[in-house]
Amino acid sequence: MIESKRHRRMIANIATYVVLVSLSVFCIGPMVWMFLTSLKYEADIVTQTMQYMPSRITFDNYVAIWTQSGFPLLIGNSLVVTLLTVTICVVTGTLAAYAFSRFAFRGRDRLMLGYLVVRMFPAVMVIIPLYVVMRGVGLVDSRFGLALAYTSFLLPLFVWMLKGFFDSAPRELENAARIDGSTRLGAMVRIVVPLARNGLVASSVFIAIAAWNEFLFALMLTTGQGSRTWPVGLQLMVGEFQLPWGVLAAGGILSIIPVIVLFAIVQRTMVQGLTAGAVKG
Amino acid sequence: MTSSASRYLPFRALGELSETRYWMYLLLLPSLVLILLVIAYPTLYGMAISFREMRLTRPGLDGWVGFKHYAAMWSDPVFWIALKNTVVWVTAAVVLELALGLLTATALNRDLPGTKIFAVLILLPYFLPNVVAGHMWALLLDPRLGVINDILVRVGILQTYKAWFADPNAALAATILVEAWHGFPFFALLLLAGLKSIPEDLYKAAAVDGAGVAAQLRLITLPMLKTVIAAAVILRVISLVNSPDLLLILTGGGPGDATQVLSLYAFQTAYKEFNFGYAAALSVVMFVILMVFAVAYIRISRITKE
Repeated sequence: MIESKRHRRMIANIATYVVLVSLSVFCIGPMVWMFLTSLKYEADIVTQTMQYMPSRITFDNYVAIWTQSGFPLLIGNSLVVTLLTVTICVVTGTLAAYAFSRFAFRGRDRLMLGYLVVRMFPAVMVIIPLYVVMRGVGLVDSRFGLALAYTSFLLPLFVWMLKGFFDSAPRELENAARIDGSTRLGAMVRIVVPLARNGLVASSVFIAIAAWNEFLFALMLTTGQGSRTWPVGLQLMVGEFQLPWGVLAAGGILSIIPVIVLFAIVQRTMVQGLTAGAVKG
Repeated sequence: MTSSASRYLPFRALGELSETRYWMYLLLLPSLVLILLVIAYPTLYGMAISFREMRLTRPGLDGWVGFKHYAAMWSDPVFWIALKNTVVWVTAAVVLELALGLLTATALNRDLPGTKIFAVLILLPYFLPNVVAGHMWALLLDPRLGVINDILVRVGILQTYKAWFADPNAALAATILVEAWHGFPFFALLLLAGLKSIPEDLYKAAAVDGAGVAAQLRLITLPMLKTVIAAAVILRVISLVNSPDLLLILTGGGPGDATQVLSLYAFQTAYKEFNFGYAAALSVVMFVILMVFAVAYIRISRITKE
């Protein structure tokens, strides 16, 4: 009986590892292949017999994407747009998340639901009128305008995520500070926000990644070199110049490095924040 | 009053303001104004546009046309194809992602050594940009130099390389595969959190009563996960219906209209043809369909819970 139980457990463990390894290969394999492609000479990519491991390695593709296209400019624009988006969300969203987390007031639940429902609005439905409105006030083709557009779907997300983190920050310290004569503002800035620091960082990283990756709004709302972000730039390069595979792969690798680094650093807290809402119901 | 806050006058004024009963409304004000400005107003304006003629290429054409766009949609064959493709694409992708997500979450939940590293590797695709995911898979499935074609030919499943995205019969399936790769970690993430919230005692009690693995899955795991699954499915359906990004990059709706979905059709109508009125009408219809689905879905999943 015990023998067979141990036996069964062992089989289950092996099956688990088989599943995990296969899924990891499925997930990471394409990225590894793109990385290998970025190191190959074009002649080794377009061959009759497939080269699985590159027979010789080159960094020409990286040099090409960085020097022969506007790639650094695109990356710079993306960086500015991402930072602006995060700044807007952190400044306005932290206040809102704190209010939702700590105060009971009339219409609170409705308002929170409202923040959730706006996420259901189709991007396309918002993009078209937003383009018309922004063209009217001169915000098309502006990095600030794009960041503003991003807050339309990222700010509600940020508020919901951060509210979860504020909820789990203990109230005792805050109460103690209040008794010691601190104002509500003082308690928020000096006690609650530092307590929810990790959550604040994780929520910010999540929206930073989303803003960095965003494609559709950027395609519609930017037309010139001055504000174009890298996803749009890369996509247009593929269309216009028939970008060689190796160069495209190098561009892809360069642009996902920040995402991978940020994800690796805060993944645990971020995952916790993303799942909290759904599990609680 | 603490010294550092009272040193500066503006801070002190704000601090005093924070003691009034309007404080929470003041905190909410900035984000509320922003959301009204960038979502609520454009949305209402977009609904208005759908009843107007608005083509940026022909500024002379302007004015109210009532339900003209909606009537045109009724007799637009592309609209019906896109509607059908949307249903197929979303349903297939969600089912596939849910199945893969459940498998992943169950495996990760056993907490064997090394699980943390596997979790990071498996979750990563969800955070990758559509543009990179799209081109990566275009490279993998390329008709001339795609490694997946090469493997399938070597194994003997395919006779020759296949042009996945150019074949009207395979294109939609191929894009569903890419979408599943990109999206299933989302399900894994939520389902894993759901699994972790099920008390261990339930399984112990069931084991004592002689319930096998299958019975435990059917009687404990799935019922306990019901809310999480319902939430994950609705969130995913919404985001899939709304985002044409991946299809725009992979196929642009082609070949023919084989991978044309509503969101992509609406976007291209605006972006390529500058026919904003018709595009707005398309997205309004899409939104209404989504809302009806969401409400019905939530009703049904509530009823079955009770």
